[in-house]
Amino acid sequence: MTVETNVIVEQPIHKGKAINVYIYIFALLAVIGAVSWFLQMRDGFILTNLSTLNMWGLYVSGFMIFTGVAAGSLIFAAIPHLFNLEDFKPYTRIAAFLAAISTIVAGLFITADIGNPQRAWLFITNGNFSSPMFWDFIVLSTYMVLSIIFIRQLLLVADKKKQDHTLKPIALISFVAGILVVVTSFVFSFQVARPLWNTPMQSLSFLIAALVAALAVLIIVLTVLNKYGYTNMPINLLSIMGKTAAALLCVELILVLSEVFIGIYTGAGHEYHTIQWLVLGNGAMGFWLQIFFMATAVIILAMGKSQRAGGLLVGAIAAIVAVYLIKSNFLQTELFNPTLDLPGPILYGDITGSYLPSLLEVGLAVGIISFGICLLLLGVRKMNFGVSVNK
Amino acid sequence: MRYGMAIDIERCVGCHACSVACKVENNLPDRIWWNRVLTVGGETMDTPHGKFPDLRMQFLPVNCQHCENPACVKACPVGATYKREEDGIVVQDNDKCIGCRYCMVACPYSGVRQFNWKKPEYAIDTEMGASNIKPHQMNVVGKCTFCSHRLLQGDKPACIDACPSLARFFGDLDDPDSEVSIAIKGRNYFQLQEGKGTKPSIFYLT
Repeated sequence: MTVETNVIVEQPIHKGKAINVYIYIFALLAVIGAVSWFLQMRDGFILTNLSTLNMWGLYVSGFMIFTGVAAGSLIFAAIPHLFNLEDFKPYTRIAAFLAAISTIVAGLFITADIGNPQRAWLFITNGNFSSPMFWDFIVLSTYMVLSIIFIRQLLLVADKKKQDHTLKPIALISFVAGILVVVTSFVFSFQVARPLWNTPMQSLSFLIAALVAALAVLIIVLTVLNKYGYTNMPINLLSIMGKTAAALLCVELILVLSEVFIGIYTGAGHEYHTIQWLVLGNGAMGFWLQIFFMATAVIILAMGKSQRAGGLLVGAIAAIVAVYLIKSNFLQTELFNPTLDLPGPILYGDITGSYLPSLLEVGLAVGIISFGICLLLLGVRKMNFGVSVNK
Repeated sequence: MRYGMAIDIERCVGCHACSVACKVENNLPDRIWWNRVLTVGGETMDTPHGKFPDLRMQFLPVNCQHCENPACVKACPVGATYKREEDGIVVQDNDKCIGCRYCMVACPYSGVRQFNWKKPEYAIDTEMGASNIKPHQMNVVGKCTFCSHRLLQGDKPACIDACPSLARFFGDLDDPDSEVSIAIKGRNYFQLQEGKGTKPSIFYLT
């Protein structure tokens, strides 16, 4: 009897069978993604709703979001060890693990977006040092290596095989690497052809979106793991994360509205017409949904209702939808309003409306995310992300 | 040596012969146009701007600008697009292109770089074009080559020879006696989106 009691105290109390069911469900969805990818590779990108004008869509949005989740998770994992926030320390393992998974997911999104993934090795043999996309490749590869080292170190500390203070160097490197998510913004902001992207504001906006996305995903993951007994994060800590995300979203809201007012104020010219397209034209649906979801997420995450886990979960989901819409509108507003826009012969996808991903794009994106969830659940099952052993 | 082109937009009648010549010469698949004649002011192609009876038609032929400081070359992550040292032509290597479309995002001259969204299909069963052009591939970006395959044989680009109103001029911009340099000399001209700093090799004579 004594032995059994010890086992219960030492191990997290969880419902292992429930998680297996979810692994099978998400694995099935991942297979749907694989089939979609096969079809896209066989028949070409004609199966997507991308076009000559709007050449980047859901996949690139997914790439931006999950690069952000990876960066934000690395920062979240590093801060408690850098600033000695003892309460948060037991949860940095899952954050570092999420960083690794998100890096894989971001990599898969960019793989889905490129027409010839079999030539991806050219990134290594022929990498162009003047290309921000190549810099981003380096940053993403660094995230993969760093997050694996970080998880390993954190697990060793959790198992009392290493001292807590030894984490400081890797935490510092991960923190700096997380901030370098601004390199992803350079992919866009360094382009003179795209005036709305070509501003230093994008660095800040990308960093905010990264942190919000990471906090929102972590809130969801931790709430679910709490429910199934894998972790036991107190609601007040989750609430702090929610409030931080709400504050960051407020800053993003100020940036978005400032950009709109600057555009409208001129009353004429390219930027004015672009903002008109966004606020009143074909992009209006996406824009107003973005504002709605940003405001909803801020209210739910910042208000008292969020003290309950269910409220936090809804707020976190609204925040993720808001981040998706931020990224999607960011792409479309610029791509649908090029600086040289004169009528000529019909090209592929001469769409003048707005962009909604095709069913194939959605299937592939769902597949990639589901694959990531599968990896996360497998990790949760195999590794010790609970708090019991640590205590 | 730096190849360049001058296009006299006062002479251009909007006949699209240059576009068609390019399409045939380079065996361009359906809905791919490396050289397009755009309409200025009208709502759709080949429509006038203004109010009846004060209507005006203005055309702007646009192909790759073969910039001296090309944004696409800086953007391409794997060096599949590059500027040739010997003549300044911006080349796209079909066999290296990973199909990320970043060059299309980076180019300020929207539409001159076009992605092959599906396996090349042609309006007629017979393949057209020069025998020494590179085959088109699915999922890669293509664009105007200044007909580099014709230059090898001492010919000018197909669009130059096809223009019925002799509005297009081609040659070495570094050579003051070349056809293009003589055409530009003493004329007013503009370049597309000069403020972007890309330094295009195409001059629009007005």
